[in-house]
Amino acid sequence: MIRFKSIISRIVFLHVIALVVTSIVMSFALSWLLGVATDNIHDQAMQDQAVSVARHLALKPDGSAALELPPELQGLYSQPYGRYSYAVLDERGRALVSSLADGSAIFPLDPQSRDVEFLRTQRGTAAISGASIRKTLGEKTFWVQAGEDLANRDVLIDDIVADFFKDVGWITLPILFLLLAIDIAIFARALRPLREASEIASHISPIRTDVRLPLDEIPSEVRPLVAAVNQALDRLDEGFRVQREFTADAAHELRTPLSILRTRVDTLDDRGIAYALKHDIESMSRILGQLLDIAELDAFVIDPNDRADLSEVCGHVAQWIAPLALKQDKEIVLSGGHKPVWVRGNPEMLSRAIRNLAENAIKHTPRGTVIEFAVEENGVVRVSDRGPGISEEERELIFRRFWRRDRTLPGSTGLGLSIVQRIAELHQATIRVENLPAGGARFSLYFVRLEAGGDSLPAAAE
Amino acid sequence: MRLLVIEDNEQLAALLAKGLHTAGYDTDIFGTVAEARNALLMVAYAAMILDLGLPDGDGLAVLRELRHRKDPIPVLLLTARGGLDDRVNGLRSGADDYLVKPFAFEELLARLEAQLRRPGQILGNSLRVANLEFDVRSRQATVNDEPHVLSARETAVLELLMHSKGRVVSKKQVEDHIFGLSGDVASNAVEVYVHRLRKQLSDKGARVQIHTIRGVGYLIAEEKV
Repeated sequence: MIRFKSIISRIVFLHVIALVVTSIVMSFALSWLLGVATDNIHDQAMQDQAVSVARHLALKPDGSAALELPPELQGLYSQPYGRYSYAVLDERGRALVSSLADGSAIFPLDPQSRDVEFLRTQRGTAAISGASIRKTLGEKTFWVQAGEDLANRDVLIDDIVADFFKDVGWITLPILFLLLAIDIAIFARALRPLREASEIASHISPIRTDVRLPLDEIPSEVRPLVAAVNQALDRLDEGFRVQREFTADAAHELRTPLSILRTRVDTLDDRGIAYALKHDIESMSRILGQLLDIAELDAFVIDPNDRADLSEVCGHVAQWIAPLALKQDKEIVLSGGHKPVWVRGNPEMLSRAIRNLAENAIKHTPRGTVIEFAVEENGVVRVSDRGPGISEEERELIFRRFWRRDRTLPGSTGLGLSIVQRIAELHQATIRVENLPAGGARFSLYFVRLEAGGDSLPAAAE
Repeated sequence: MRLLVIEDNEQLAALLAKGLHTAGYDTDIFGTVAEARNALLMVAYAAMILDLGLPDGDGLAVLRELRHRKDPIPVLLLTARGGLDDRVNGLRSGADDYLVKPFAFEELLARLEAQLRRPGQILGNSLRVANLEFDVRSRQATVNDEPHVLSARETAVLELLMHSKGRVVSKKQVEDHIFGLSGDVASNAVEVYVHRLRKQLSDKGARVQIHTIRGVGYLIAEEKV
C-alpha cells in the first residue's frame, strides 16, 4: 500500500490512474460507436440502393420481370468498378438479373427473411455486405439485393475510421490532462485555508498561547477538527494563565513576609548574623523579583508605538550598576551612546534586559577588571566582562530558566539570562554570545533600528 | 518630625514604626484608606510612607487626592507590586519615590532623608560623606569640621555629587547643573572642574573619592583604604 504524505499527492495519484483508465475506455467506446455508426450508414445506403434498383423493376405482359436501369445506375454497377453489385431473385431464389459476372445471386435466399434484411457473405476473397428487400409486383414476389465489396468500401468513411486516433482521438488525452491540472488547482485552492491554519498553528508556543486558528474559510469537512483544536488551545491557554498567575501571586504574596523578615533582621543585635541573613534575604528577593518579571513578561505585549533610545537606556543601566560595581572593585565603562539610537521597543523592558546582562557580567568578572557597555549606532548593545567566558556547549544552556553553571555561586538565580532572552524575543532582537580573545564573554543584542526621520523622530517618541 | 505610615500589615507597620523611631522620627500608623484621609486632614506630616494595596481601596487614590489639593508632602510608595505599569502609575500619580518590597530598611531611611532634604523640605541641613560635609543652604563645604571655600564651579559640582551620594551623576547632569541651558560647553569642561575639585578636596584632607565612570558620569564615595 502506497502511503501519501499529502492529500494533494494522493489525489493526483488516484486522478492519474482514473485518467488513464478513462482515456483507454473512452477510446474503445468512441471507436466502437464510430464502427456502429459507419455500419448503420452503410446498411442504410445499401437499402437505399436496393430500393432504387427495385423501383425500376417492372412486370412484362407475359408475367416475367424486366429491369430497366437508367444510365447513372448502370454506371454504378459496371463491372470494372466492381465495388457495388445488385441482383434480383424470384421467390425461389433464382437470380433473374445480376450485375455479377457469373450472374448469380449476391446472397443466398433465406425463405424466412423479412421485408428488409442486412446480410454479409464471402465471395472468394471479397467480403460483401449489403441489403435485401422484398418487392411485390402483381401476384409475384421478388427479392432485390444490393451489395458492396468491403475491400473497396467508401474511402471517406474508411479514412475517418482508420485515422480516428491519429486525427481526433488524441484530443481526449490533452483534455483529460487539462482536466487533471484544473482539478489539482481546485484542490490546492480548496486546501489553502488548511495550509494557512497550519501556518498559524506553527506559531503556538507556551509564550504565544493566545493564537487561535481562523474558522471562516475552513471547509466544513475539516471544521470540527479545527474547532476542536481551538477548544484544546483554550483549555491550554487557561492552564498557562492559571500557572502564570499562580507564579505571580505566589511571588507577590511572599514579598510582605519577606519585608517583615528583612526589617526584623535589621533590628538584630548580632551584626554578623544580621549581615548574613540580610544577604540571604536579598538573594531570595532577587528570585522573587525575577519570577515576577518572568510572569509579567510571559503576558507582555509590546505596544507597536513604543520607542526606546538605546543610548539613554544603557546610560541609565550603567549609572545604576556602577555603585554596585565600585563596591566590588569592578569598573564600569560605557562606550558610544553619545547620540540617541532609536529602536522599536519598551524602554523599561530593554532596561531590564541590559540590567540583567550587567548583573550577570558583574557576577562573573573578577575584582579589578572592567565591564564594558557599548552602544553602536546600528542598534547593537554589547556587554563584555573579563570572566571565564562561556564554552560552546553552554551557550544554549545559559538561557534556560534556573540553569546555573555554578550552583554554589551566591546571588545567582539562573533566571537573569532567560529574562534577557525573552525580552530580546519580544523585540525581535537576536542575542549573540562569544568569548573575547583577551578572555571573558561578550553578549550582543541586535535590535531592529528605527531609521532616522519619519515616525522615528525622537520628538515623537518623547 | 512626624511621619504618616499607611501599611495594613500590622507586623510590618510595627517594625517600621520601631525602626523609624530609632532613626529619630515620630510616626502615626494606619492601615486603611479612610484613616489615611482623616489623618492627612488633621496633621501636617513631614512625609508619608504609603502602601498601595489596602483593604478598603487603593493607596494611589489617596495620593491623587493629595496632589489634586496641591499638597507638596513627600510621598514614598511602598508596595509589593513591582510591575512595569505599577511603577509608572505610582510615579505619574505624584509619588516622589517608589520602593518595592522587600526593601532594606536603610534604603527606606536614605530615600526618606533624600526627600526631606529637598529644597523647601524640613531636613534642610547638611550632607555628609566620610569627613566631608556640605551644607545645602549655605553651600559651604567642611572637612573635619573646618570650613573651606571652593570656587563657584567646583562648589556646584560638589553640590550635585553630594545630593546624589552613592549614585552616579551623569556628565550631562553636571553640565546642565553648572551651565544651565546657556551657551556652548567645552567638551572637557566638566572633566577639568572635577579634576580641580578632586585636587582641592584631597589637599584639604577629605577622605572621599570622586570616581569617574567612563562614558557615564561621576560618583562620590568614601575613600577605600
